[in-house]
Amino acid sequence: MSSKAFRPDVDAPEWKGGHSPYDIIKEGTIALVVVGLLTVILATLFGAPDDHEITIKNWANAAPTDFAMTAINEMNGTTTTAGYGAPYNTASDGQKLGPLTLAKWVGVRIPINTEQDFVLGPLESLPYNAQLSSALSTWKSASTSQQTTWVNNYTKADSTMTFKNGQIAVNASNAGPVPVFINDLTAMARSGALDTALVQGGNFFSMDYTKPLLFLSDGGYLAQLAEKQHLLGSQWGMMNETNSYPGQAWLWLYTFWYQVSPFSTSANADVQVWATMMLLSVILLFLPLIPGLRAIPRKVKVYRLIWREHYRN
Amino acid sequence: MAWFSFLAALIPLDGYGHYLHWGVINISVANFIVIVLMVVTFIAALLLPFPGRNRRKESK
Repeated sequence: MSSKAFRPDVDAPEWKGGHSPYDIIKEGTIALVVVGLLTVILATLFGAPDDHEITIKNWANAAPTDFAMTAINEMNGTTTTAGYGAPYNTASDGQKLGPLTLAKWVGVRIPINTEQDFVLGPLESLPYNAQLSSALSTWKSASTSQQTTWVNNYTKADSTMTFKNGQIAVNASNAGPVPVFINDLTAMARSGALDTALVQGGNFFSMDYTKPLLFLSDGGYLAQLAEKQHLLGSQWGMMNETNSYPGQAWLWLYTFWYQVSPFSTSANADVQVWATMMLLSVILLFLPLIPGLRAIPRKVKVYRLIWREHYRN
Repeated sequence: MAWFSFLAALIPLDGYGHYLHWGVINISVANFIVIVLMVVTFIAALLLPFPGRNRRKESK
């Protein structure tokens, strides 16, 4: 009977030496106590990150013209959300991997019409106000092309936008009811009512903050705060935490790809980085089956350092 | 509120973080310290003798 040749990459020799007792319960208990003590000591010494949440109310009070500018851009369809594609709308193909339109295949799962959902809908939910009510009626009775003309005329003049005495003013002509919308929406945002109106579900326990978060991220205020805290994607932000706390260091490889070409300049970086990480994960998963790569531990010989006493004898 | 100020951290880390730059690499000092500690722990795990080694030797 012929025996198969020993394959060093795959086969393990039979252990013929002695055995030592090993108490896994004792080791587990020691680890639990040590980690528990370390947690209490470090929490006492350093505390935990506890930044206040950023709301639309904060934004509209800190930077009212940035808010109003974003609101008109939600109406003219030039914000990131308005042009994102799936899962929010059909304005573009969304994230693509080469010819594969992955986002489009998933479809519009969270439909968002930025003009209706971020501007007109919340305004309609406000208590009766004669000027706003008349403006909304004028808007509804106008043709789509007339509405577009009003929005475009307001947009053309938005560089003249000022905020004075709690009012947004723009030197726009033939903008129809749009100036009333933008001014009232800004006042609504500054009062905090827009935060509530944008939360989906409409009940006290609702936790769906998709709309307020998208609206916030369309403006310049959130990005400005994120940049100060090194939280932007281009600043390795995925692995950073607010203030001086350590963050998610284990995401270094995921965020690394966003810093280098071609990902750093690609409009489809999210799906490309995801695909790269999936490929690397599959390689890691099948490492024991890949000749050459599976031989690395045997060639590097770190195991001989760990079990040096055994190999010395 | 003052009544729970005793819960505040002894060494607060609420100021803006410090960052280190080397070319494309941009890392916070806090993350760098954590990574260095992980590497030190790994090297210590490799080099330090197993606890109870002498006891096992004697019992052989």
